[in-house]
Amino acid sequence: MNSTQSIGTAVHIDNLDKYYGSFHALRKINLSVKRGERIVICGPSGSGKSTMIRCINRLEQHNGGRITVLGTELNDDVGNIDEIRREVGMVFQHFNLFPHMTVLENCMIAPMIVRKRPRAEAEATARRYLEKVRIPEQAMKFPGQLSGGQQQRVAIARALCMQPQIMLFDEPTSALDPEMIAEVLDVMVTLASEGMTMICVTHEMGFARRAADRVIFMDGGEIVEEAPPEEFFTSCGNERTRQFLSQVLGH
Amino acid sequence: MMVSLLRYQRVRNTLLQVLYVGSLAALVLACALIARQNLAQQGITSGFDFLFKSTGWDVSFSLLPAAPTDPYWWYFLIGVINTLFLGSVGLMLATIVGTIIGLARTSSNELAQLLGRTYVDIFRNIPLILQVFFWYAVITHLPTPRAAHQALGMLLTSRGLYVPIPNVGGVAFAAAILTVIAAIALPVWLGRTSRLSQPLGERLGIQLTAAATALTTAAVILALGRLPDLPLLDFPALQGLNLKGGLRIPPEFSALAVAIAIYGGSYIAEIVRGGFKAVGKGQMEAALSLGLSPWRVFTLVRLPLALRAMLPILANQYVWLMKATTMGIAVGFTDFFMIVALTINHSGQTLEAIGILMAGFLVINLSLAAVFNRINKAIALKGNQLRG
Amino acid sequence: MEMVVVAPPAPGRIEDLRRRFFATPLQALLSLASLAIMVFVLWKLLNWAVFSAVFTTAGGPEACQAAAGACWSVIAARWRIILFGLYPFEEQWRSALACVTVVVMTALSCMPAFWTGRRIALVWGTGAALYYVLMKGGVLGLPYVGEEAWGGLALTLFIFVTTCLIGFPLAICLALLRRSELPWISRTTGLIIDAVRSLPLISILFTFAVVLPFALPQWLQGDKLYRVIIGSALFFSAYQAEIVRGGMQGVPKGQEEAAMALGMSYWQRIGRILLPQAMRNALPATINQFVISFKETSLVVIVGFFEILASGNAAYGTGEWRFAYVEVYAFIAFIYFVFVFSLSRYGAFLERRMSVGER
Repeated sequence: MNSTQSIGTAVHIDNLDKYYGSFHALRKINLSVKRGERIVICGPSGSGKSTMIRCINRLEQHNGGRITVLGTELNDDVGNIDEIRREVGMVFQHFNLFPHMTVLENCMIAPMIVRKRPRAEAEATARRYLEKVRIPEQAMKFPGQLSGGQQQRVAIARALCMQPQIMLFDEPTSALDPEMIAEVLDVMVTLASEGMTMICVTHEMGFARRAADRVIFMDGGEIVEEAPPEEFFTSCGNERTRQFLSQVLGH
Repeated sequence: MMVSLLRYQRVRNTLLQVLYVGSLAALVLACALIARQNLAQQGITSGFDFLFKSTGWDVSFSLLPAAPTDPYWWYFLIGVINTLFLGSVGLMLATIVGTIIGLARTSSNELAQLLGRTYVDIFRNIPLILQVFFWYAVITHLPTPRAAHQALGMLLTSRGLYVPIPNVGGVAFAAAILTVIAAIALPVWLGRTSRLSQPLGERLGIQLTAAATALTTAAVILALGRLPDLPLLDFPALQGLNLKGGLRIPPEFSALAVAIAIYGGSYIAEIVRGGFKAVGKGQMEAALSLGLSPWRVFTLVRLPLALRAMLPILANQYVWLMKATTMGIAVGFTDFFMIVALTINHSGQTLEAIGILMAGFLVINLSLAAVFNRINKAIALKGNQLRG
Repeated sequence: MEMVVVAPPAPGRIEDLRRRFFATPLQALLSLASLAIMVFVLWKLLNWAVFSAVFTTAGGPEACQAAAGACWSVIAARWRIILFGLYPFEEQWRSALACVTVVVMTALSCMPAFWTGRRIALVWGTGAALYYVLMKGGVLGLPYVGEEAWGGLALTLFIFVTTCLIGFPLAICLALLRRSELPWISRTTGLIIDAVRSLPLISILFTFAVVLPFALPQWLQGDKLYRVIIGSALFFSAYQAEIVRGGMQGVPKGQEEAAMALGMSYWQRIGRILLPQAMRNALPATINQFVISFKETSLVVIVGFFEILASGNAAYGTGEWRFAYVEVYAFIAFIYFVFVFSLSRYGAFLERRMSVGER
């Protein structure tokens, strides 16, 4: 693997290009995320931020450049893809819980069939993480019986049950009613304080202020601005960033 | 080396596709080669030359003149025409039955609903071929020509249904029928009759003129094509032990047509009902609140909307019914499929005949689908304003 | 079927009836016409089938033919040949037991408790095996009876069950291949499915029964019965594949993405996430397809099998019962009706229940 990267690098993105047909969705992205670092990515819709984090676990295939996750390069090699997906958890905007399984089964299935853990161990892990996201009592219910906020917390628990080293969040609160956003963000803040490597696409600037090490602003498929939160919110120099911030924070 | 290459998605994908398509092609090719070899051993040369040889056997039903000296391609044509003829008669009858039953099921009268539902429940749940067998048995167990049932100049016997026909030449007869069909089809095709922009009187006038012109033309054609020295209508009559004159509709054809009409009718009834159910209550309430009479609400709002909803499903059903004509072989009606089967029996040109069969049905299905797509597009509502 | 019960006229009843059936002259006419048709048909039918019918074989065919109504004695005399065909007389209890097996198996698979891939496969697997052992014998002290002696209802059920048993997995494979991301695989599969769907079933049965022996090497030909079953399974799977594919399209894309993000392999995603949801979506259409294919099983009579329709033809076709064709067909129609009607009612019930669940 690449010897220039230290063991401390979780994700290393180098000159990443992504096209949808002739549309250039990501242009020469460079980004390095250290282990334990918390990154918040924001930007207007269509700026490529979701596409970028979906490239990290190969839900999207990139067309140029290199992505290295935990020292393994993400390329055409099927073995590498499987290896990386096991170590990278993801939380989606629309939860994507499996509706035909109970909450507990949702959390147990991947550890059992992907990591080949015995049932008892998988169940213990699942119950522990459900406890952590504060809904242990819902374990035997089906996703359809839960509120949006509860479902998203189950989705976080489900991802955590694989005991991943990196967590990706793709607009986890965008589909939620306002009163449910806080309960999900609380879980995410707790997770951040425990040292999880997190890459979050979100417009929740409060979360960025409280938990992020770095805030990245994307527009038009490029990284426009990259700074620690206090600097990002107070003294950013870019016109596009200021305009976006005034729209997000303005009201 | 091979194993490590297999880890690469692109290599894997290419290999999978090549393997899949390749093995299928190999399978088909192997079958074809073996078949050719087997047939060659029996002295049958492959190729389509046999199409121009005379068949040496007879068909039981044909709209065109047919004799054992005719070549195979002519027999195939006869088969296709028989299939289309039986299919269209079956479709028409099934549509009439289905519309009546479907309307009964959607009517507000509970007794009519019950009647409709009973019909659908019974005839939908009995296999078509059983119904074909049943009607064929019924017709062939009718009395002999001597003791035939008579009504309106028609004779009902075990040898078929005999109806009076006009004494005119075949060409003139066909031309007259085509004229009448055109008179019905053309205005519908042009979409003139359904437009509201013209006043009702004017529309009626156009329709009446069209109908009158068509009927007169048809009558003139019939008169011109009339065979000399014979009465205008040829009635079937008993002569010795046999029936002479009139047109004989063979039991095979009637059994199939009746069975398709009854069975297909039960399916079409459900489609009609579904179509009317799809018309929102709001549309009808709006029309009623405009002060339209119930009849005009039906013809101007309910029917046009329901027709649009049922047409795509109806198209599928028609394709299905067209394929159902292949049950002709069960009672000995020489439809396209039976001609193919007989060809295989007599000439041994198995692969070619099966190929022709597949191509024939593909063409029939595709053209039916194309016609319905056109109609569908022509009457589709612009935009989606009536949904949701 | 609900009957219209005319209760003794209480105050308000007559008014109610008037409003329901005689509100306008047109309604009144419609009601009277429907009533007249119903009464006429029902009376004729009852008179024929019950009041003037002959039920015993005592008088023989002659007395039966002389009667004004139905001659059910033909059924009494020939029911064994209709139900069991040419199966050896002393062994026909096995045939009957095999039919019961199929019915029990179908009933079991209608219960939600059996709706997991493994259980349904278990039920159908053991059912089919039990059926096969019962019919064929040669083990457990049961005398051997070859397939050529099978017939009647038992053969019809055998063809139906094996068609589904082969056709269903095949349908799932075809559906998966058709939605493959690899263009050549999906296109080729689409071509196969569309070609099969555009052909009439009879032509496929005919090809497999009569033409295929030319195109296969000797060792691959097998028995005609199994070739026809494979043909009918292929036809079934082409239709069922489109139903399954429809069900798969109803599963949101996020489901597969979530499974991928959790590191599941292709087969794990298909088996654990996609198929269970897709099959649930496709359930009503699937039952409808079962109903259709049960009815279409009857077509094998054309390629020369002694299934229930052919055995019915034989039951009245020979000798003294030649006149009693209506009774025989009515009997067979009734058997089909019982199977098909109950299955389609069940399908309608499921559809209603599922649409309520969605709300």
